[in-house]
Amino acid sequence: MTRRAILMGGVVMAMGVATLASTSAQAQDKTRLVIGTTADVVNFNPLVGNSRSDTWVTNLMYPRLMQMTPAGSKDPYVATKWGYSEDGLTAWLEIRDDVTWNDGTPFTADDIVFTITAVTSEKIGVTAGLIPAFVSAEAASPTRVEFKLSRPDSAFLTNIGFWMPIVPKHAFPAVGSVAAFANDSNWVSVGPFLLKSVEPGQRYVLEAVDNYPLVDGGRAKVDEIEFRVFPDVNAEALALRAGDLDLIANALPAPIAQTLKGQPGITVAQAPSLGWSHVLYNMKRAPLDNVAVRKALAHSVDYEAIRAIAMQGLANTTNSSVISPVLSYWADPSLKEYSYDPELAKSLLTEAGYTDANGDGFFDNLELSLLYEQSAADIANWAQIMKDSSAKSGIKINLVGLERNTYLARGREKDFDIYAGNWAVMEEPAAYLGLAYRTDGFINYASISDPELEKLIDQAQSATTPEAVKVPVQAAAKLIQDQVYDNVLYYQTFQFAYNSDKWDGFVVQPSDLLSLVNPLSLASVKPKD
Amino acid sequence: MTNTSSPAPATEPSAGLLAPADLSPGRRTWRAFSRNPLGMISAAVIVLMVLVAIFAPLIAEFPAGYGREILAPPSAAHLFGTDDIGRDVFAQVIWGTRISMIIGVASSALAIIIGVALGILAAYARRLDGLLSMLVDVSLALPVLPLMILVAALVGPSVTTLVIVIALFSWPEVTRIVRSQALSVTRLPYVDAARTIGGSHLWIMTRHLLPAVAPIIVVSVVLTASRAVLSEAGLSFLGLGDPESWSWGKILFNAQRSGALTVAWWCTLFPSLAILLLVVSATLVSIAYNDARNPKTREN
Amino acid sequence: MHLTGYVLQRLLRGLVTFWFAVTVTFFLVRLLPGDPVLAVASPSMTEEIRLRMLQEFGLDRPLAVQYFSYLRELVQGNLGISFLRSQPVTTVLMERLPWTLLLTGTALVLTVLLGIPLGVLSATRARGWVDQVVQVAGVVGQSLFVPSIGIFLLYTLGLMAGIFPIGGAVKSGLTGINWFLSVAHHLVLPCLTLVMAQLAAYVLTLRSTLIEALGEEYCDLARAKGTPERKVVWKHALRNALLPTTTLIGLQIGFLVGGAVLTETIYAYPGVGRAIFEAVGQLDFPVLQGAFVLLAATVVLANLLTDLVYGLLDPRVRAG
Repeated sequence: MTRRAILMGGVVMAMGVATLASTSAQAQDKTRLVIGTTADVVNFNPLVGNSRSDTWVTNLMYPRLMQMTPAGSKDPYVATKWGYSEDGLTAWLEIRDDVTWNDGTPFTADDIVFTITAVTSEKIGVTAGLIPAFVSAEAASPTRVEFKLSRPDSAFLTNIGFWMPIVPKHAFPAVGSVAAFANDSNWVSVGPFLLKSVEPGQRYVLEAVDNYPLVDGGRAKVDEIEFRVFPDVNAEALALRAGDLDLIANALPAPIAQTLKGQPGITVAQAPSLGWSHVLYNMKRAPLDNVAVRKALAHSVDYEAIRAIAMQGLANTTNSSVISPVLSYWADPSLKEYSYDPELAKSLLTEAGYTDANGDGFFDNLELSLLYEQSAADIANWAQIMKDSSAKSGIKINLVGLERNTYLARGREKDFDIYAGNWAVMEEPAAYLGLAYRTDGFINYASISDPELEKLIDQAQSATTPEAVKVPVQAAAKLIQDQVYDNVLYYQTFQFAYNSDKWDGFVVQPSDLLSLVNPLSLASVKPKD
Repeated sequence: MTNTSSPAPATEPSAGLLAPADLSPGRRTWRAFSRNPLGMISAAVIVLMVLVAIFAPLIAEFPAGYGREILAPPSAAHLFGTDDIGRDVFAQVIWGTRISMIIGVASSALAIIIGVALGILAAYARRLDGLLSMLVDVSLALPVLPLMILVAALVGPSVTTLVIVIALFSWPEVTRIVRSQALSVTRLPYVDAARTIGGSHLWIMTRHLLPAVAPIIVVSVVLTASRAVLSEAGLSFLGLGDPESWSWGKILFNAQRSGALTVAWWCTLFPSLAILLLVVSATLVSIAYNDARNPKTREN
Repeated sequence: MHLTGYVLQRLLRGLVTFWFAVTVTFFLVRLLPGDPVLAVASPSMTEEIRLRMLQEFGLDRPLAVQYFSYLRELVQGNLGISFLRSQPVTTVLMERLPWTLLLTGTALVLTVLLGIPLGVLSATRARGWVDQVVQVAGVVGQSLFVPSIGIFLLYTLGLMAGIFPIGGAVKSGLTGINWFLSVAHHLVLPCLTLVMAQLAAYVLTLRSTLIEALGEEYCDLARAKGTPERKVVWKHALRNALLPTTTLIGLQIGFLVGGAVLTETIYAYPGVGRAIFEAVGQLDFPVLQGAFVLLAATVVLANLLTDLVYGLLDPRVRAG
């Protein structure tokens, strides 16, 4: 009967081995950088895929026209110059003439026109929502694109410059079928790398492309890049320490970053987030439509505890402004954070007519639910802190932790009292203020509707020089702070670890979308001799 | 697993010490069991854990809120250290005992009730036996954890969900054991005799079959409960546990999610030890009990 | 029994088991609280895809019709579309299945290869200290929480001792014998973890049946004839003692395959278990359902193939 068991085991093993495919041999003298990530690539179409791993991989093949600076502004990259007409109804952009796809086809203005037409007519992703003023695009020459706008939009060019990766017209299907295109084989890339092989659930291997004029030397310094998937971040960190990984692409939780800092041969680099974490108060639900209540709530949050404990010190205040200090050009240094003052909160509520008749320590008729995504550990932690510190002001908060899809759905449907969330990148105030605070704004979950705010946003978007944009943008941030339309708690500092004994030359960029794995960085990194 | 100790001479009963042949089966079992050190220690551990579960509020405060000392190693102030938002791990393990045991006991009790009922029924009623046996075989052959995960994910995490899910996937094992034990009894003449004098089916099943399978039930309860604790830990670790309550699996889930798993060994070690201790004790107790009641394995 | 009769009987049994698994899944998803639409269409899907899914699975129609649509799609190999990946579930899982098969198959073989000597050792020295050690060790192994032991082994044997790789199934870019060696190298720790969890059940059952068998008359007879004790054990008693463990093996494969979920996650092993872990976090129901159905099919198939091969080899089995 053991024979049966061994036979069964053998049968099962054979079923397995018979269906496995072995991979092609690796040439011995190629250099390879092995990068760890916690999630599979699920979508190879750069216009559709929006998870971190998707972006990191497709970024290495499909270029963004502009580069993100540490202050959140845009520098030339593939695009060299850009501007608007006097009346703001035309925008133009010029690109380099030496960029090519790896199959030899030149990268031209046609590719840009193709991409933007597909994105807007098929309404693909967030990008489509960013450029509502777009009417049409035309390739005036192989290196110049001209856009027609329905109204002036000062953020239009920088939005498409960073948020719209350009795809090859000659390798993608016609407009109408672009969103459905899986793009899971026969990749065509501008560089610095090209996908060579995919082992689902295991690794993604890319090799350097020969003509990449956007880095010194015209080619990436390393021959190959491998992304390896580790679902458990703890095991991933062990792999870095053991030398199985050279770099970890995902931002590390504080305990792991702390330990790695002390390891010889490993360096932990930091990159600030370009976004922020916040809570929104649902303006359509009483009593949150009362600014006194919102102010009381704002003074009931122990901001410092949140940053020190939930974020383990890896977060900084934005001074309760919706313009993060990271955006050094736009930020208003005169704004101050709401103070954590339970007594002040209590007096505001008492003035607004609230009492505690039953003496249970909470104001009567003031019970609010706080909606958050359960699997986001940071937010789950500070939601708890917010609940406890609000209790000190007599405000009762009930935590509602949901799984991601339900959480997102309820946010969109505006079914919440308080909404805890996190925006990953909010770098162009003229653009995101519109999305988040216009009455019909795409991400205006709190149903904020203020005519004065609307006017300021109009001004910001129709201005044609940065100086002219700055004034209404800062005024809008101040108004939002006074009215407590949005309570920004902190912006995060991300930590990334890599093996500094073996590698150097990384170029750090802000946000965990870019960090150490942005194209320029990976094209510049080289093995230490 | 009994000690090699020489039995008292059968012909000279000394004061207070009856010869083995004169003891009732229950007493015989207890005597054999009490001579087994591993069995006795394990039983003591289980009793201790039950006490901890009951008296949890007296031992430690419910872990809530947050603390200033994040990921502090074990110290006088925090016996098992603190977790990633400064909560006391000792309190988490103590309160976790409560939930882990409740889920273990409740799901095993539910599984036992269903399993015993169906097991006895299958042994007694020939016509149903075929169907029930097939049902049991099929249920046992299938990989249950994925199905448990599917159900827990669909219904939403809570203590009740976990209890029902685990019970629903544990009863086949019980039925299988109970049925085979009951079968050996249904063939005995006294059951036929009972039928002849007009005993109703229900009466026969409860009065004759049930006591005959009672020892098996005891073993089963303990084993099912300990497996239930492991299942609960697994489901909580995957994030399907009750978010409002503490269980050992949840402590490990937090540790994994926050990156503390290898970095703060106290967050991983203590809940894992708790699980290990409970499951090992339960298994050893049932083995000792089995050895004690089986004349072939005990020395009397 | 004829060979054909035997084959048909086993085939029928396998089909019934599979049908049962599939039906249970269907009804669980449709009848449990919660929106059954979620089982096929995610809130974030485009309207077009959502409507297509609803139509394919007939969610707007009565339950009986839905059941047949479900079976029809299943027979064609359509397990739905993964929410997370926008790819057919079948594609996603079939890429992962071979690794799970390899892992669980090896674990099963090792359990038996290790379990028999340990069971014999324990039974022949029953109640001695060796027996106690084996029992306690087995029980401890079975009571360990898989993620804890996994991360512990990775930390000690992987990082500190550097003997084993940290996660993954195989090193990149190898062919031929090197590929096999690398696969084996990566297989050790996950396999060890799985075996530890299963071994005790096997050893303890064998121990108890062997003790019984050794006390039987035919063994006494053999001893009276002067047969050395070793032969009594290995040749006579073991053969009968192993009979009850056969059913145990059939159960264990189901257990192993399911238990691989936690193991594959910690070891970053690219199998179906890990796909389940990733699907849980995202509530990717089609993958969860599909995984269970696929694993059930695997278990049934494995049992069936083994029965068939065994039946071919050993006519006594067919006689029944």
